Amino acid sequence: MEWIGRSIPRIGAQTRARGKALFGGDVPLEGPLILKLLRSPRPHARILSINTERAMKNDGVEAIFTAKDIPGRNLIGLITKDQPLLAHDKVRFVGEPVALVAARDEESAIRGVEEVEVVYEDLPAIFTPDEALDPGAVPIHEKGNLLHRRVVVKGDVEDALSRAHLVVERTYSTPFLEHACLEPDAGWGYVDKDGTLVIVASTQNPHYDQREVAELLGVEKERVRVIQAATGGGFGSKLDLTVQGFIGLALYHLRRPVKLTLSREEVFLATPKRHAMKIWMRTAARRDGRLLALEAKIICDTGAYSSYGVAVATRAAVHATGPYEIENVRVESLAVYTNNPIAGAMRGFGVPQVAFAHESQMDILAESLGIDPLEIRRINAMRPESVTATGQVLGESVGLLEALDAVEPHYREAMEEWKKGPRRPYTARGVGLGAMWYGIGNTGVRNPSTVKVQLDERGRVVLYIGAADMGQGSTTVLVQMASETLGISPEEMEVVIADTGLTPDAGASSASRQTYISGNALVRACRKLSETLLEEASRLMGLPRGELVLRGGNVVSKEKPERRVSLAELAALAKERGVSLEFEGHFDPETTPLDPSTGQGIPYATYSFACQMAQVEVDLLTGQVEVRRIVAAHDVGKAINPKGVVGQIRGGVAMGVGFALMEEFLPGSTRSFKDYHIPTAADMPEVIPIIVESSEPTGPFGAKGVGEPALIPTAPAILNAIADALGERIYALPATLERVCEASIRAGWPKMGKGGGPR
Amino acid sequence: MARRISFLLNGELVEMEVEDHWTLLHLLREELGLTGTKEGCGSGECGACTVLVDGMAVNSCLFLAADLDGKEVLTIEGLAAPDGTLHPLQRAFIENGAIQCGFCTPGMILSAKALLDENPNPTEEEIRHALAGNLCRCTGYLQIFRAVADAARRISQEPIEVFPRRTD
Repeated sequence: MEWIGRSIPRIGAQTRARGKALFGGDVPLEGPLILKLLRSPRPHARILSINTERAMKNDGVEAIFTAKDIPGRNLIGLITKDQPLLAHDKVRFVGEPVALVAARDEESAIRGVEEVEVVYEDLPAIFTPDEALDPGAVPIHEKGNLLHRRVVVKGDVEDALSRAHLVVERTYSTPFLEHACLEPDAGWGYVDKDGTLVIVASTQNPHYDQREVAELLGVEKERVRVIQAATGGGFGSKLDLTVQGFIGLALYHLRRPVKLTLSREEVFLATPKRHAMKIWMRTAARRDGRLLALEAKIICDTGAYSSYGVAVATRAAVHATGPYEIENVRVESLAVYTNNPIAGAMRGFGVPQVAFAHESQMDILAESLGIDPLEIRRINAMRPESVTATGQVLGESVGLLEALDAVEPHYREAMEEWKKGPRRPYTARGVGLGAMWYGIGNTGVRNPSTVKVQLDERGRVVLYIGAADMGQGSTTVLVQMASETLGISPEEMEVVIADTGLTPDAGASSASRQTYISGNALVRACRKLSETLLEEASRLMGLPRGELVLRGGNVVSKEKPERRVSLAELAALAKERGVSLEFEGHFDPETTPLDPSTGQGIPYATYSFACQMAQVEVDLLTGQVEVRRIVAAHDVGKAINPKGVVGQIRGGVAMGVGFALMEEFLPGSTRSFKDYHIPTAADMPEVIPIIVESSEPTGPFGAKGVGEPALIPTAPAILNAIADALGERIYALPATLERVCEASIRAGWPKMGKGGGPR
Repeated sequence: MARRISFLLNGELVEMEVEDHWTLLHLLREELGLTGTKEGCGSGECGACTVLVDGMAVNSCLFLAADLDGKEVLTIEGLAAPDGTLHPLQRAFIENGAIQCGFCTPGMILSAKALLDENPNPTEEEIRHALAGNLCRCTGYLQIFRAVADAARRISQEPIEVFPRRTD
């Protein structure tokens, strides 16, 4: 293969290196109106009145919009429509948008926002799922405070528990997290000559944006065009509408160019977070380490509105066993409304949280049973034809054992040599493992993609790809697949990305789905084109089709390479003969919905697998944890662009280090990077990436996905390494200095003669 | 209050009126239309707005435009040669996979330039230290370190031009 497995530089890297890429806040228009939002200062309150008169008297203020100005349906939401674009009867979290000001300049916009008068009547506010589920709790939404309950049951848990040699039962908790994309959400818009409202925004989800804005405005979807700006990271937070609805509303009424850039504080306050979770888990095993049963109750704080809450609770339930075969399973997962910020999708959709729990359980079991942590994972690891908790029989692409094998030499070396090596006084070293599985694509629902390819009249291949690339590199790998299929280099192609006016719907760039799903759609489209080109060339050249191949922008005879016809010639010929050279490819993974009462079904067509190892050094006096090294083995099916895969792995590890050690969003107080620390250049451990390729028969060239899997095993591996170092375990993330110190004291450190004392 | 200042911007002399409260970031993005410099936080915490003032890396969101008088500014737009040839740092960032979303890239490259101008052959520790004020959420930084080291190598191997050219 010529283009698959090659690390070509990321498409678009050069414009970014030159500072020429236009992100959502880089508006190439003269004098757009500035949009700003008035946001609720109350977590839960009725709106008694909104008065905009005084604010409108400001010279520079052009218009102020409230809920009553929304011409269509004032309800948005990725799965459940429960969120107003602008609050109408009440507000449900601090930061909820209440009014939109359009002004000629920044100062006027700020003054306008300050002078809108809103009278609130406070309602009791609820900040924990426990309070929210209390039968006497104030309902945050009319239908109550339980958004979703997902159950996954299989086998006979009671019987398994009675047969078990060991049962381990623990409760884990994880906090809200901020995506912390470097680019704050931003966008701009204008009205096209034909009256179309054009919105250019930082987004992961352009076709959803288009549908949602059209519904808000009560117009045909074709009247709204969403174009993805260069997008400065997403990680799930740019799946929801952030600026698009407001830009659309202002364009609808004002018909003038507008722009809206959220401040960093607004991003912290008002964009979706990772769900805070409380996870109770009971795991039963035989004496030989074989897992017999898993029980879990997962409570997800979904905040004020649903966003992707249903999907997160469901995915957490489906993945709660970890990548292990367990015959008897009973999992209940609840998504619960509170007056906290909205929780939505964040890299991993609930799996990073449950992985922290199941991987801690594995190490506790291993220790109690006297089995090596790597061995207990190997004993229980999913393999081809394993049966999952939802009753799905896995296919052949299950590379977990290979990932464990790949990590093993590093693990043995770390345990036997590095751990015992010389170290500073009052420090302890630990080594830990984390394994994971992750279903590619949305859970048990249709999530198709369509890609279009065209050979234009000049003989140039043009790809129309709706998949948003927010840095993960989907454009690059999709173009490589097209190059491979059509035999022309990436530079010779034109690519149109994520523009609802031009590209078909590829669905969201989420759930690690674009390589697998849009990849398949693209390969199908390109094959149709290549079939037609070979047929046309065969007719023209008078050679049998089987003797021809596409190579270097020509159709060439395999036997006599000097006999060839160029794509330009074929394009001209096709035009003459009225043959269309435009093709669409479509792919929707084969899944079945989960049964509502048992959770049984086939939620994903394929899964990625991984194992990571962490080596940490813990300062027993200060609680500081230094992650020295992460070895990360990931089964991606096939690495279309190995350097891109490695980039995803390293970036995922960085995010995992943050999840493990430092990141915690506290509703009501986290407002800036001063309060919310993400790993810096100084915090990064050495990372040894290992790519495992267990080819997926239904994947394009065997590929699956890696974006989210990259992050999932890191925090579990680090927490297991800390437990290994201290001999005591931490059950709540992040492992802050205080929590590590506390665990260190619990373990009796610092003590002489156990390696912790002065040397 | 407005005042008149003059400064060198990417090698060209600029004379203009600036308001006292304008930041350098505002001046670049909103008044001069140079949107290559990014605003990530507006409070000096993320480094996305880094530019060089008299060769020093500064957070342009905290630097007052009025203080620019008599100084020299380099932004990402001025880094490539006038004919468009990329600076070795830009090339190294592209080739080493140091760019994912690219939003932190302009600031990151300029912080790296300030480092290499002062220390042409930095250790990895020195690179980490120099870039610790530039946040990146995508890459995990390691490719960036590699890119900076690679650029340092390329710069040190660049031929030194001597004028008048010898004709041997």
